[in-house]
Amino acid sequence: MKDYFKYFDKLTFALLLLLAIIGIFLVYSAGYSTQEVYFLKQSAWLVFSLLVFFIVFALKTDFIFRKAIAVYLALLVILALQIAIGGTVARTKSWFRLWGIGFQFSEFVKIPLALVLAKILTQFEVINGRAFIKAIVVIAVPMALIILQPDMGVSFILCAFVPLVILLKKIKPAVLVVSLLLVFLGGIVGWYSVLKPYQKNRIISFLNPSEFKTSTGYHVIQSKIAIGSGGLAGKGYLKGSQSQYQFLPARHTDFIVSVIGEEFGFINTSILFFIFFLVFYRQFKFTFQNDEEFYFVYLFNGLILFQFVINVSMAIGFFPVLGISLPFVSYGGSSLLSFFIGEAIIFRIKINNFLA
Amino acid sequence: MYLSKRKLTSEYVKKAVVLSTIFLIVIFAGIFLAFWNIQILQNESYNRLAIKNITRLIELPAPRGLVVDRHGTVLAENKINFTLYLVRENVGSLEKAVQMASFFSGKNTAAIRRIIDKFKRHANFYRIPIKSNLPRSTVIFIQSRQDEFPEFEIGMEPSRTYPLGDHAAHVLGQISEIGDAELNAGAAAAYGLGDLIGRSGIEKQYEPFLRGTKGSQTVIKNNVERIQQIRSEITPIIGDTVVLTLDLQLQEFIENLLAGENGAVGVLDLKTGGLLALVSKPEFDPEVFSREMGWEEWQAISNDPQKPLQNKFLQGIYSPGSVFKIIMALAGLQEKIITPATTVFCSGSQVFYDRVFHCWNPSGHGPVNIFSALQNSCNIYFYNLGKKLNIDTIARYARILGLGSQSGIDLPNENSGLVPDSAWKMNAFHQRWFPGETISVAIGHGSLNVTPVQLLKMIATVALRGRTPKLHLLQRIEKQGKIIKEFTPEFTRVPIAKENFDLVCEGLFRVVNDEGTGRAAKIQGLDICGKTGTGQILAKENPRYKILTQEKRFMPNSWFVSFAPRKDPRLAIVVLVENGGDAGAIAAPLAAQIYKKYFENEGLL
Repeated sequence: MKDYFKYFDKLTFALLLLLAIIGIFLVYSAGYSTQEVYFLKQSAWLVFSLLVFFIVFALKTDFIFRKAIAVYLALLVILALQIAIGGTVARTKSWFRLWGIGFQFSEFVKIPLALVLAKILTQFEVINGRAFIKAIVVIAVPMALIILQPDMGVSFILCAFVPLVILLKKIKPAVLVVSLLLVFLGGIVGWYSVLKPYQKNRIISFLNPSEFKTSTGYHVIQSKIAIGSGGLAGKGYLKGSQSQYQFLPARHTDFIVSVIGEEFGFINTSILFFIFFLVFYRQFKFTFQNDEEFYFVYLFNGLILFQFVINVSMAIGFFPVLGISLPFVSYGGSSLLSFFIGEAIIFRIKINNFLA
Repeated sequence: MYLSKRKLTSEYVKKAVVLSTIFLIVIFAGIFLAFWNIQILQNESYNRLAIKNITRLIELPAPRGLVVDRHGTVLAENKINFTLYLVRENVGSLEKAVQMASFFSGKNTAAIRRIIDKFKRHANFYRIPIKSNLPRSTVIFIQSRQDEFPEFEIGMEPSRTYPLGDHAAHVLGQISEIGDAELNAGAAAAYGLGDLIGRSGIEKQYEPFLRGTKGSQTVIKNNVERIQQIRSEITPIIGDTVVLTLDLQLQEFIENLLAGENGAVGVLDLKTGGLLALVSKPEFDPEVFSREMGWEEWQAISNDPQKPLQNKFLQGIYSPGSVFKIIMALAGLQEKIITPATTVFCSGSQVFYDRVFHCWNPSGHGPVNIFSALQNSCNIYFYNLGKKLNIDTIARYARILGLGSQSGIDLPNENSGLVPDSAWKMNAFHQRWFPGETISVAIGHGSLNVTPVQLLKMIATVALRGRTPKLHLLQRIEKQGKIIKEFTPEFTRVPIAKENFDLVCEGLFRVVNDEGTGRAAKIQGLDICGKTGTGQILAKENPRYKILTQEKRFMPNSWFVSFAPRKDPRLAIVVLVENGGDAGAIAAPLAAQIYKKYFENEGLL
């Protein structure tokens, strides 16, 4: 037990906790003008997430990898059932209400998916056709189910696994060409069959936001105004006009960066980004016992980094608005919990060597 | 010792760590620079946009200035007007709301729907004006059941009111909401949608003074335009007070005198050129224009054959009849065609250019000179004078004395009338002037057209022996108690000798005081000089034809123009009674009563 504590990455954990606490303060500001109590729910979720974090941390890594496929399949079944019968919250079927708490199961898929992909990467020396098809199917099935929910944001995030898999392992050139073609084809099919008109509009308006000033481009313009008007030191907590007079849409979720940008300014926003940088830096450097552990950490960290970059780019108009939240900071209990579960596995992997 | 099952080489792992670190640095440097660009380099422009987002300048309407008469009696002021508003965000069932709005306002449901549709682009909490000038009973009804009708709100705004009703309505004029087309035309830069603007009368003439200075509020509002706080406020400034030369007491007296008649009266203070009374009959209620007017109401007013909206004093055009003989006499004397010694024999009729022309007195006046010709309004004398003067000379004198052009009184939309001459006829009909037409013009008939104000100005010039006063209604304009504009009397000379005016005045004196046609205007102790006139009209062309009695239909218009006293004159009056008949019996006694009232009030009689 003493060793557990000794080798536990206390600094990284503190940084993650700090991100979550900053998040609660920003969520409070985001709901302040409309008297929303998101921050209370988020605080409760944080406490619950920390509890689960330590439970998962206590589990042996071997055990987790052994159960990964079962959990993965179970989640697929739940997602499928949700589509078949699920309740409807805010136009999507992605929410599942249990004891009055809304669970968004799609958020949890990334953990078993990363574990399964790590196993696949370990099985093969190079990515040949078989390995590639296996990986693609494992990624595509939950993606498809989540698209049907429909939850574009979460589904899009899972795309990150495709380049990550290719980067982590040597790949046969032919497979690479085929995979690029597949991405291209997937894009076309997605545009014409999967995306809803409003989602297409978001992407079109990203390319030319000023032409969609009052419709879909509105979000991006207001977000940029919020961030830009924050200046060096910000307008002060709860004093941002864009945040408090409700010009900023989805302040507590997709555009939480705009809240900190406006109210706390460039300096503090940079500090937030630096915390993220430190977390990523520390989680990419570690010892491990087993190849699948290595792959999992890189896959999961890569996924968080991808989501972080997309969210921040969205806020400054570098990426279409797709409903992607900022990890650890944005409001959303399922998202917070899933990230802490993933991190718990990483934290455990990092100390396995020392415990032995 | 734990046996690692790892197969990945340490080179591979090292490479992964180095590459991911480089990747992280590149990514974060990029984000850092992007935020630096937006937050630091472009901070100023985004700041402007953020401020523009939340601040709004709201105009506060200014109350219009007061209009008062020379004694300070208020003729036009402002009152509180209740308006019914519909707020869409509080509407439960639109169908029910439309029904209720229709019930409260008296408008039909289609009209209500049109109004609501007009504001469909506005925010849900925007107050849609359904009806202004809501009756007090409806206001109380709605306010006492506010929880039953949450979608309705009652607003209070200042509106124009004329406490004396239709008295002096034509002087005051009307106001109404400025139209979209006018705003788009850019003619009214200082105005906004919903602003009121003077349309006629003093309300139009002194619009720049009356309209006041709008105030404004700088407010902070949120994304749906709901006001969060008021930053600063500039209070509106009430419009200036316009003091008129009008004497309301005299005005009302004359209006009552003319009750039931159609016509116009003007009373002029000869010392200043200010009008003491300006009456046009019938009147209208100017307040109906400040509130919303129904189509039927508008139709009724604008199609009324009595033309209540027309200010007959300066817009009605009439044949001057024998009043024109004053101008003929002056022209003849000044052109030396006649002298006081010139006599003409009147046998009741005379042939000119193969046509018989009649005097109004079929048995004739016998030998007449200039004095008796005016006194008895002898046509034969003036036919002969007209024959000797040609039409262009007559027209020249008519114009010198103010006919054929606007009098310049400070009221808008004045009519010019018509002074015919050979050039006019060539232009209008491509025909030369026939000498026979001059004979008709000589007694004020033919194509000659005048307005009452022109004749008032003419008689004023005669009274002042050649000095023409500038006619005006404005006494002064006061801004918060301080006089910012005051009228100073102005006179201009006409090129006619004073002695000729004296000769004509002698004739006009006899009209009233020596058993002339205007003897009914005679008052003991006051030397009134005047001239009657009967203006011929074609009965069928009279817009009032259908509403007049059989007897009145064929009666001519009665004129009486006059001034008093003969020496050092103080007052000039023009009286016109449409279809009045014998001028001496109708118009002259009215003038007498006005003189009596005025001079008694002044303690001069």
